[in-house]
Amino acid sequence: MSVYQADAIVIRSREYGESDRLLTLFSREQGKLQAIAKGVRKPKSRQRAGAQLFTYADYLLHKGHTLDTVNEASPRESFPHLWNDFERSLAATGMAELLDVATLPGQPHPELFTLTLTGFFLLEHYSPFLIQGAYALRLLHILGYHPRLENCAECGAKVEGSRIFFSPAAGGIVCSHCRGAYSGRWVAAGSLAFMRQLLYRDMDKLDRLRWNSSLRDEVLAATEFYCEQKFERRLRSWQMRNLGCGRESDYGSESDKQH
Amino acid sequence: MNFLSYPRPLADLITALSRLPGIGPKTAGRLAFYLLQEPEAAEALAQSIRAAKEEIRQCSLCCNFTDSDPCALCQSDQRDHSLLCVVEQPRDVAALEKTGEYKGLYHVLHGTLSPMEGIGPDQLRIKELLGRLEGVKEVVMAVNPTVEGETTALYLSRLLKPMGILVTRIAHGLPVGGDLEYADEVTIARALEGRRQL
Ligand SMILES: [Zn+2]
Ligand SMILES: [Zn+2]
Repeated sequence: MSVYQADAIVIRSREYGESDRLLTLFSREQGKLQAIAKGVRKPKSRQRAGAQLFTYADYLLHKGHTLDTVNEASPRESFPHLWNDFERSLAATGMAELLDVATLPGQPHPELFTLTLTGFFLLEHYSPFLIQGAYALRLLHILGYHPRLENCAECGAKVEGSRIFFSPAAGGIVCSHCRGAYSGRWVAAGSLAFMRQLLYRDMDKLDRLRWNSSLRDEVLAATEFYCEQKFERRLRSWQMRNLGCGRESDYGSESDKQH
Repeated sequence: MNFLSYPRPLADLITALSRLPGIGPKTAGRLAFYLLQEPEAAEALAQSIRAAKEEIRQCSLCCNFTDSDPCALCQSDQRDHSLLCVVEQPRDVAALEKTGEYKGLYHVLHGTLSPMEGIGPDQLRIKELLGRLEGVKEVVMAVNPTVEGETTALYLSRLLKPMGILVTRIAHGLPVGGDLEYADEVTIARALEGRRQL
C-alpha cells in the first residue's frame, strides 16, 4: 500500500521547508494523519488549495518512510466563510485544535469526521461560538468522556443550587456530599442547562438557542476547562477567543444571514 | 541519531545545521563535513553570520531588517509616507520592491495570527504598527492568501478602520499562466472580487 486514498479535512497546516506545507489531516477512514504537501507555497502549484487549513478534499497520498506525501488533492469544499469572517475562523480553529489534541494518529473515528464536517458547514450561518461549544461537548461524548450534566457524576443524586460544582476529575457535576477532594470549578446552573442543550439538541436546530455574552463566556470556559483537564493539554486557540469582538447579536438569528 | 557518536563539536554543528529551515539531518551532515574540509569557507561563513547577527536589527518603525535605524526606506523622501503596506515577512518586502511598482512604506508583522500555534497579536509587530499611523491615509494588506493571512488582515482592518484609515488588500486571484479550470473556488471567488474595468 504505497499509495492510498483519503477523504479528509485539513485540521492543521504549517509552513515546512522552502515551499512545502506539513498538513495534519483528519480522514474519514484512517483518522488523523500527517502528510507533506510539496511545493504548495509556490503560486503555480496545483495542489495549493488542498493544502489550506480547513479544506475538505480527496487526497491521494504516498506512504513514505517517515512522512507521507500528498500526490494529488481534489478539493470538495474550501469553506469560504472560514476565510472571510474572523469569528467563524476562530471557532473553526478552536474545533480543529481540539480535534488534534483529542485524537491519536491512525485511529479511525468516522463519527468525529462527520461531526467536524457538519460543524464547518454550520459555521456558515450559525453563531460560531455556539457551534464551537456544541462541537466540543459532542466530541467528548463520542470519545467517551462526556461530562455528566444532569445528576451527580459520583452518586447519581439530583444536584440543586444556583451554582454547581463541576469537576473534570469526577466526570461532570458533583453534589455537596461527593465533592470531597475533587478539583473543579463552580458553574451557574443555567450554564449547565445550556450545555445540556448544546450536547443533546439536533445540530441543525442549535440556531434556535439564544445566549448572551456572559452565558456564552461561562459555557465556553467550563467546556474548555473540562477538555483541557481530560486531554491534559492547553487549548491555545480557545484561550484567544476574546480576540473576536463580534457581538453575539451579529450571529445566530435566522434572519440575519450576512451577505 | 547515529551522528551522536561523532566528537561532540561535530555533533553539535550537525545538530545546529539541521535546525535550519529546509535542512534535514543528512544534508546537515554533508554541510558539516564540507565545512571541516574547507576551513576558509568555514571561517568566512562564521564571520558573516556573526556580522549579520551583530549589525542587522529591526527598524523601529517598519520592523524590517536593517543596518541603520530607521531603515533607508523609512527615511526616504522619495516614498509616500501616507501609504503603508503590511506584509508577513521581510522577504515579502524584497518581493514587492523587485516590482518597482510600489511607492509607499512597509510594515513587517513577522508572522500571522495563528491561534493554534499560540501566535496572537502580542507575538506580532502589531503594537508597532498602531504606533506609527500618524499621517497614514491608507494601509494595504499584502498578506499571503492563506486562512491565517486572511484572518490577520481581517483582525487588523477591524483595528484600523475606526481610526478613519482606508484599509485595502492586494488582489488575490489567478496566477499568471495558470488555467482557470484548475483553479479552486476560493481563488476564483477572490479573482472575481478583484476584477476591474477594461
Ligand atoms: Zn453525589
Ligand atoms: Zn523601516
